[in-house]
Amino acid sequence: MGKPTGFLEFGRELPASRDPKSRIEDSKEIQLEFEAEKLNKQAARCMDCGVPFCHKGCPLGNNIPEFNDAVYKENWGEAAKVLFSTNNFPEFTGRICPAPCEASCVLGINKPPVTIEQIEKEIAEKAFDLGLIQPNVPKNRTGKKVAVIGSGPAGLAAAAQLNSVGHTVNVYERDNRIGGLLTYGIPDFKLEKRVVERRITHMRQEGIVFKTNANIGDNVKTADILDQYDAVVVCTGSTVPRDMPVPGRELDGVHFAMDFLTQENRRVCGEKIKREDAIVATDKHVLVIGGGDTGSDCVGTSNRQKAKSVTQIELLEKPPLERGEKDPWPLWPVVLRTSSSHEEGCERKWALNTKVFHGKNGKVTCIELVEVEWTLTKNGKQKMVEVENSTKTIACDLALVAIGFLHPQRTGLLDQLGVELDNRGNILCEDYRTSVDKVFAAGDARRGQSLVVWAISEGREAARTIDEFLMGVSVLESKNRSLLRV
Amino acid sequence: MNGKTLYTPQHEHDSCGIGFVAHLKGKPSRDIIDDAITMLQNMEHRGGTGADENSGDGAGILIQIPHRFFKEECAKVGFKLPAANKYGVGMTFFPSESVLREKCRKELNKYIRNLGFKLLGYRIVPTEKNTVGQTALSVEPISEQFFVQFKDETTPEALERRLCVLRKYANRTIHELYTQTLDSFYVSTCSAKTIVYKGQLTTSQLKPYFTDLSDQRVVSALALVHSRFSTNTSPKWKLAQPFRYIAHNGEINTIQGNVNWMKSKATLLKNSLFTQEELELLLPICDSNRSDSSNLDNVVEVLTLSGRPMAHVMMMLIPEAWEGNGQMSQEKREFYEYHASMMEPWDGPASICFTDGKMVGATLDRNGLRPSRYLLTSDDKLVMSSEAGALPVDQSKVLFKGRLEPGKIFIADLEQGRIISDEELKNDICTRQPYGKWLQRSGLKIKNLPISKEKMLPPLTGHALEDRQLLFGYTTEDLKVLLGPMASEGKEPLGSMGADTPLAVLSQHSQHLSNYFKQSFAQVSNPPIDSIRERMVMSLFSSLGATRNILGETPGHCTKIKLAQPIISNQKLHRIKTIKHADFKCHTIHAVFYTDEREGGLENAIESICREAIFAVKEGFNLILISDRSAKEGMAPIPSLLACGAVHHCLIENKIRSRASIVIEGGDICETHHFATLLGYGAAAINPYMALETIEQLVRDRYFNKGVDAVEAEKNYVDAIGKGLLKVFSKMGISTLQSYQGAQIFEALGISTHVVEKCFKGTTTRIEGMSFDDLAREVLVRYDLVYKLRPTKEKNLPVGGVYQWKQRGEFHLFNPETIHLLQQACRKNDISVYREYAKKINDQSEQACTLRSMFLFKERASIPLSEVEPKANILKRFATGAMSFGSISYEAHSTLAIAMNRIKGRSNSGEGGEDEARFVKKENGDWERSAIKQIASGRFGVTINYLNNAIELQIKMAQGAKPGEGGQLPGHKVDDWIGRVRHSTPGVGLISPPPHHDIYSIEDLAQLIFDLKNANPKARVNVKLVSEAGVGTIAAGVAKAKADAVLISGADGGTGASPLSSLRHTGLPWELGLAEAHQTLVQSRLRGRMVLQTDGQIRTGRDLAIATLLGAEEWGVATAALVVEGCIMMRKCHTNTCPVGVATQNPELRKLFTGKADEVVNLFHFLADDLRRIMAQLGFKTVNEMVGQANALKVNENLNHWKLKNLNLKPIIEQVVPAKGDTHHNSSKQKPLDKDVLANRIREIAKPAIEKGKTVKAEFSILNIDRAVGTLVSSDIAQKHGSKGLAENSIDFKFKGSAGQSFGAFAAKGIRFELEGESNDYFGKGLSGATLVVYPDRKSKFVPHKNIIVGNVAFYGATSGDAYINGVAGERFCVRNSGVKVVVEGLGDHGCEYMTGGRAVILGATGRNFAAGMSGGIAYVFDPKDELSTNCNMELVEFESPNSEQEAEIKDLIEKHLEQTNSVLAKSLLKNWKSTIKAFKTVMPTDFKRAVEAKKSNQKKEELAHG
Repeated sequence: MGKPTGFLEFGRELPASRDPKSRIEDSKEIQLEFEAEKLNKQAARCMDCGVPFCHKGCPLGNNIPEFNDAVYKENWGEAAKVLFSTNNFPEFTGRICPAPCEASCVLGINKPPVTIEQIEKEIAEKAFDLGLIQPNVPKNRTGKKVAVIGSGPAGLAAAAQLNSVGHTVNVYERDNRIGGLLTYGIPDFKLEKRVVERRITHMRQEGIVFKTNANIGDNVKTADILDQYDAVVVCTGSTVPRDMPVPGRELDGVHFAMDFLTQENRRVCGEKIKREDAIVATDKHVLVIGGGDTGSDCVGTSNRQKAKSVTQIELLEKPPLERGEKDPWPLWPVVLRTSSSHEEGCERKWALNTKVFHGKNGKVTCIELVEVEWTLTKNGKQKMVEVENSTKTIACDLALVAIGFLHPQRTGLLDQLGVELDNRGNILCEDYRTSVDKVFAAGDARRGQSLVVWAISEGREAARTIDEFLMGVSVLESKNRSLLRV
Repeated sequence: MNGKTLYTPQHEHDSCGIGFVAHLKGKPSRDIIDDAITMLQNMEHRGGTGADENSGDGAGILIQIPHRFFKEECAKVGFKLPAANKYGVGMTFFPSESVLREKCRKELNKYIRNLGFKLLGYRIVPTEKNTVGQTALSVEPISEQFFVQFKDETTPEALERRLCVLRKYANRTIHELYTQTLDSFYVSTCSAKTIVYKGQLTTSQLKPYFTDLSDQRVVSALALVHSRFSTNTSPKWKLAQPFRYIAHNGEINTIQGNVNWMKSKATLLKNSLFTQEELELLLPICDSNRSDSSNLDNVVEVLTLSGRPMAHVMMMLIPEAWEGNGQMSQEKREFYEYHASMMEPWDGPASICFTDGKMVGATLDRNGLRPSRYLLTSDDKLVMSSEAGALPVDQSKVLFKGRLEPGKIFIADLEQGRIISDEELKNDICTRQPYGKWLQRSGLKIKNLPISKEKMLPPLTGHALEDRQLLFGYTTEDLKVLLGPMASEGKEPLGSMGADTPLAVLSQHSQHLSNYFKQSFAQVSNPPIDSIRERMVMSLFSSLGATRNILGETPGHCTKIKLAQPIISNQKLHRIKTIKHADFKCHTIHAVFYTDEREGGLENAIESICREAIFAVKEGFNLILISDRSAKEGMAPIPSLLACGAVHHCLIENKIRSRASIVIEGGDICETHHFATLLGYGAAAINPYMALETIEQLVRDRYFNKGVDAVEAEKNYVDAIGKGLLKVFSKMGISTLQSYQGAQIFEALGISTHVVEKCFKGTTTRIEGMSFDDLAREVLVRYDLVYKLRPTKEKNLPVGGVYQWKQRGEFHLFNPETIHLLQQACRKNDISVYREYAKKINDQSEQACTLRSMFLFKERASIPLSEVEPKANILKRFATGAMSFGSISYEAHSTLAIAMNRIKGRSNSGEGGEDEARFVKKENGDWERSAIKQIASGRFGVTINYLNNAIELQIKMAQGAKPGEGGQLPGHKVDDWIGRVRHSTPGVGLISPPPHHDIYSIEDLAQLIFDLKNANPKARVNVKLVSEAGVGTIAAGVAKAKADAVLISGADGGTGASPLSSLRHTGLPWELGLAEAHQTLVQSRLRGRMVLQTDGQIRTGRDLAIATLLGAEEWGVATAALVVEGCIMMRKCHTNTCPVGVATQNPELRKLFTGKADEVVNLFHFLADDLRRIMAQLGFKTVNEMVGQANALKVNENLNHWKLKNLNLKPIIEQVVPAKGDTHHNSSKQKPLDKDVLANRIREIAKPAIEKGKTVKAEFSILNIDRAVGTLVSSDIAQKHGSKGLAENSIDFKFKGSAGQSFGAFAAKGIRFELEGESNDYFGKGLSGATLVVYPDRKSKFVPHKNIIVGNVAFYGATSGDAYINGVAGERFCVRNSGVKVVVEGLGDHGCEYMTGGRAVILGATGRNFAAGMSGGIAYVFDPKDELSTNCNMELVEFESPNSEQEAEIKDLIEKHLEQTNSVLAKSLLKNWKSTIKAFKTVMPTDFKRAVEAKKSNQKKEELAHG
């Protein structure tokens, strides 16, 4: 397998990125090309472990050692086959996944882990370049019709899987473009939209019908959908953002991050945004509230819009640089992560709680914060205590709230379907089945906000359940189940 | 036994001491009998006794009929005998119960009459039972002799034949009529020439019991004796030997196959000497109820009586290794090849003495695995026995001394009055018929068969191929892990760590049928073979076609299609399929079943193919081709193995099996084990067409880095499978494919009796399981994927996940979750995390993985935890597994040792020796010394000092991961340190042989135990066995051999490197072996004197509790401890790249080791706490109380997977009630070593040397019963002086006589032993610094260098010292020598095998296969006739002429030899030194040379640098 001593010979190396100064001038991908020889060495670092923890760490259960080995052998056909067999969209995850696989890579116990995500991206791109990935039109149709509601990663994955076994799949998207979060949430510098479009084109060629501007429960009747389809899968995402009920929240200039990001994505796509609706960072002091990925995307986007300054604050304490006792290998480590957006310029602050937005003329001007300390309670829970006399203010004229999402939107579709919800407001499911006959759910709408890779996983697993529901038995893969199961 | 437990009598083994004494000129005398009995008594140590010391396993003697004695005695009874040889004597056991006895007698009388005999009368054989033990007496039969005369005048040969018919007919018919007489009625001999006296006796009881044997009138010109050591414990008088023609020391490994084949051969019997009616009365020739030796005797008998000379018969049944022997004469090879077409070898280690009353002879198996020494005196006395010196003779009268050589026959014709040499004898026999011409005329080679015009099917590609792969169960893992490496490397792939996946019957993945079959392997009762280093005895030869009447010989008998090996290409198969030939007709049977019959479909199909096969064979088709090619939509493939077994057995049942060969064309045949099972159930040739097509696919897909083409890839694959098969045979001690075929060397695990009866009859299956419908269901899962469920969907092959954990793959006990939890629990010392871990391991309700997961604890009255014995008592019972320093790093090894010493448990050194620096405690009180020192076949670093730094000595008979196999430590893992500890050269790979070369049988094991108890009298001796069917009887044998403890290892135990097929398919889980061992030991009343230990995937307190309830009072934990040290189950131990520094010697990687003794200690505390909690729950206060209380377990009935519904696990938890006064746990000690007079005298006299540093000298006389002389005193030296020993020659002792086995074993530095006389096996074994000198009795007149003086396996595992041998040594001289310098004047086969150090100067001929596996040290061979190049195995060595340095060394050693022994040969060689040295060859291991030169050049560089 691969090169048994590769990990002893080669260090971890990723492709270089474009200079931060120049890359913020556009929205293109920031990574430079990686030489084949270098990639080969990176693949050679994989140890092909007896217990590949990476494979467990990956929400899709990608067969990582196998594709690493194929890349090492420069057998792209094999690599693509292995990769696409468990992941419908490695061209997405290869770019934007936080790579829990790498966090659990065995090499990571005492050395930098294998560059799994990068290898994944290279395989996906190579597969497209070499024509290894072709639209695969099913030879026979089952005659069963499935409606997929929502065209984000979960919906797309479900659609692709269901179509592959011969079901007729229609995907409904309330927006005017397919892709959901992939298209509207993730900035182009992380995931260029041509990559998403390339995939959609493929799927269309495979026979999947996409219906945009079709908001079920609004401009399309829910009842019609239930009538016309043998199964319906709800993949509408977790779209209701978490808000912060502090004084001044209503001020102009305080926005949800997703509103800001979506607009920018539309602009990059060439859409026009009405001036009165526009949220722009240009020449502003931007304050991003929330230290997660969405926040980071706001940072990158603000810099591209030429903000005067960008500050990002986080409620939690500054994480350590390395794993601690709380998150030993192979667990997901809470460590300081510096994204490419941070490299482009941003001040980061931690352990700050937002108290008040102050404004002038209805417009936000600054934010009042208080320092907090986190302590452990007796039963091991984290507890936040405000530090006395630590109040401070930071000037800002655009505040972006990026502190997560609560649950899917209830009004419209969910209300009309009448699906039961769990105590967090997500769709309650058992094995992806909702409380309503022939209605299924997958992705953030069911799971709550999560990663793209999880959404794909949900879509795939739900597809299997649906296939079983429609046909009595399913031939679709499931990540924890062998086809040879007796 | 009660039939509810796991004990099965068919697994009993025996082994023994044998011999004969004869007067070469045929003069009968009393002396012959007395001498033979003396000899027998002097081999008492080779026999065994059970719990009852006075009940032997059996002893007996065969003599000529003492006519005068019988005449007079019968006259006393009241009847008159005719002249000598005109009547037959039937020596008979009758039931002791009188009514039954008279019923038997009535029947017997009837047969005597009916078969044309006149009954002259009965004589009750007088017996004296006062010395005989209770166990034997409880089943003692009444011995009587009946005397019969044939009604007409007849030749002696005809009379013998008729008497044989009478005996066989009477035995069989009476047993059928009165089944209760199976063991109590038995005609031992019925002959006009010979008679046997035998019984369930010890050797010393034989003569007193049968008072006839003391009568002066009882005389004979020959006497064959036998003493039995049986692993079994249920006494049987009839199993004692000799039989009618032979006395057998050994084991027929292939007995099941031989008996099955005989069934159909018997129906073809025809012979002009017998009437057809008589032949029918003789049937059955063989019977699986009899012992292997008894069956062999019966075949020898019928072949001999039908007119073949006995030597001819022996050559047929136990042929030499002829296939690869270039030195063998053409006639002889043709003889063997010709006879191979009618008889498969009765394969296994065997030394056989045989006689027909007129001549007496002996033969040895092809591998020479039993000792047999003989001598002839000037007064015509010929003495042969398992041990030299068993019969003391006047040495001045000895004309010559020899030993039986592998495959050779030795015959004394008492009528001609001379010894006939092997060469003369065989030359005579081989030229009696023009066998070569016959072969040319009738034999066919497959490649010469005409090619039919019928087109072959084109190979499949693309999706069509993938569909077929899916149908036949291929996974991506099969392609990547198995087929790919085999096709590119030509070798079986290796793996490491243990198998922690579910047993096939528990797995929820569709299984290959072969996965339900576990390969059996040799342990203790017979040795496995090294199929690589001893390739010359191995053979893959196979042939196709019918077998004919074995009592005749015609040119037509060899009408066969010959195959060099059984794996055939598509093209060859096509030639067979379409054959058009006068002598061959092929019928194809389609092995498919209808998929619409989901119930009963498969069984119906099996029945129909059986009918078809029977019909075809009766129609004259002699090639039956079973093919699953026709599987398609609507028709699923029958597993090839199922179809093959069914056809094989239905043909056997119909007694037509030998009329046709079975050829398999199977899509489901991929790995070695698949081939092995098919061959084991009767296939003769196999075409794995899917595997071949898959390999072509891999070639097309550029899978191979190095441009391997399809032809080469296929060849590599066939080679790899061939090597794998040889390994499978050899692990059972079988050499040839022919005898493996149909030998069914498997245990079925999880197959229902119904299926076994139909398709695998005779195979042990103990827990029931899969029915035909269940098996069909497993096939249909795959079938449905291909044909039923949306067939157009493009499918990926499943991932497998057997060799590597995979999310979509097979379940593994150690998976990312459990590894993580265990590591965290121990690191944080957090029992709550341990509990979480244990829950995950224990709760297998979703996916059962182990048999124990199927058990539940019964509800019992609990006790408070405080009443349970303290944790400290439990911690003492823990051991870690045997992992060698070499396979794991010093850091990992010593951390375990420290942890175990802290908790007062025991760590195990493993087989790699131990650095003496670790024997001293550290300042902080920690101790790196391993309490258990292992003695494995490689004997690395096993010195007297090593043995004395232990509280337990463990003899590793087998290893769970690869029982029956040796090991190899690759050169890259042998760094300077490991080289030093193992007494080998750094950088040079090390081989552990598959067998211990001093344990080929149970009596040998008893000897090694004896040796070790001498080597360290304070240590307890533990024998490590691996679970398999029959391990219970072996454990009983081990108890009888006086081991103190026995470890039953599960087959799922770990390894540093093993072929993948061995990891998965050999041996059984410990639950079965442990329960069987415990049940058998309790039943045989041996349990109390043994400690029973178990290991193999033990992970939690629940595992410990179940092990305890099933009978173990101690437990081993290895993998879990390694995981605590940081192991993350990379399964890369064999590549030296362990990334966490555990299983690597790479210094960079070792730095990454983070394991801590404290964390290991935490693990054992958790386990003990966990066990105590369960003890409290079940109400056991102590472990002793809990041991063997299997009643506290019940089978979990709530597991509802369909595969589990037919399992029957009750036999595992059947609790055996101990006899009164016996216990379920270890409660007493083994009897200490006999107060060995000689050893104690030596010890006494040596005291001043050891205690005061004085020099002592003394002289002793010595006998063959004086064994391990010098070992006890060496222990004293080591205890006091460690490895540095004493000053040279401090103890200078001389011995005179025939030394017993293991003379000078482990003898320490400072000892010099001089032996005038001779010595038996294991001379200088483990020599640790002493000097040994041996020369013949000064009175003897024979030429020393032409006569044998020391036995087999001398200097095995010797580490230092020197020795001078004025004579010839036996087989396997200097095997695994790693430092001794020795001079010898000639030796047998396999000399210097696996040697890694030292010097061997050989002044005479070497046998064949010299220097096999020799990776270090140097041999200097005096080879004036230039014979060495044909005898040497050149795989690892090269020849050189001695350089000046070497010349000096040789000369020095020969001069010492002369000085020490006064060797005539040495004197003459030195005299003509110039010509002498020219005839010397240096045999130099290539790697060793490279390593030594590299070291030299490094030293030079250093010198230069420093200079």
